[in-house]
Amino acid sequence: MRGLMSSVYERQLPMTGWGENGQNRLASSTVFVAGLGGLGCPAAVYLSLAGVGRIVACDADDIEQSNLNRQFLYRVTDIGRRKAAIAAERLREMNPRVEVISVDVELDRENAAELVSGADVVLDCLDNLETKIALSRACMDAGMPLIHAAVADLTGYLSFFDPPRTACLECFQTAKPAAVEPAIPGCTAGALGSLQAMEALKHLLGLGEVLAGRLLIMEGMPPSFDVVALEKDPDCPACGG
Amino acid sequence: MTIYLRSGGKLKAHLKPDVDQYTRRLVVDGNPTLREILDDLGIPHAYVAFAFAGGTFRRLDYRPSDGETITLQPPVSGG
Repeated sequence: MRGLMSSVYERQLPMTGWGENGQNRLASSTVFVAGLGGLGCPAAVYLSLAGVGRIVACDADDIEQSNLNRQFLYRVTDIGRRKAAIAAERLREMNPRVEVISVDVELDRENAAELVSGADVVLDCLDNLETKIALSRACMDAGMPLIHAAVADLTGYLSFFDPPRTACLECFQTAKPAAVEPAIPGCTAGALGSLQAMEALKHLLGLGEVLAGRLLIMEGMPPSFDVVALEKDPDCPACGG
Repeated sequence: MTIYLRSGGKLKAHLKPDVDQYTRRLVVDGNPTLREILDDLGIPHAYVAFAFAGGTFRRLDYRPSDGETITLQPPVSGG
């Protein structure tokens, strides 16, 4: 690794457990980012800037004006264009060494397993429980680790699911949130999306422990970060505990 | 026994805190589950995804003990 790109990474290479070997490991890794909204934008940006070799960026939405408080890969002039294509373009601009594959497909129970195949880790940056469950089940069936995050208001949840070693999404969250669209300040989504990228990098680099079997709960009011043990639910409809 | 229920965000409005901005003190008879306590308070189960206490995740079938503070968390799935 020489020249410009070596300089780009010089502030992360000295980290214990990272180094050139770790950087090469990232370069040969694939991360599937499901959803390119408030969580997916920061997560994909930090993975790209860190030098993850291949990012599969999946979203089937148009860019809307109401996205722009938090989805910072997009501009006012992008409104009406497709998120997957624009996100891929911006991520490539940020780090030309990274291969970004845009997938403009609505993820569902039928196609989720095929879409995530070949990834080393999957990021759940989706915005609704039904699709999150489809992705979670596909990852569980494929034995693929899933880094889940969800946000609303000033609240965020984050966990690393890798059943049967850990609980799965449906072990902890099955209650359907209210039908109204949740408020999502950019700072809440930005914080959790960044933490998803951190978990992915730790996993890919083999850096210490990830949030497997634990749930991080971020609250803005009152301000707190809690990490609680997340045990499997013996009555879980997906993994059966 | 006395327990303390705590919540931020939108759940707070249903909890009607009285100890501080986020906490409600409750005197309960017997050894009820969180689900039963929510019923008594008129808080729909759908508003609470899970709870935690003392660093441990708790489902709605959890039975709090005297003096315990339980934090209620809403279902969240935005992205």
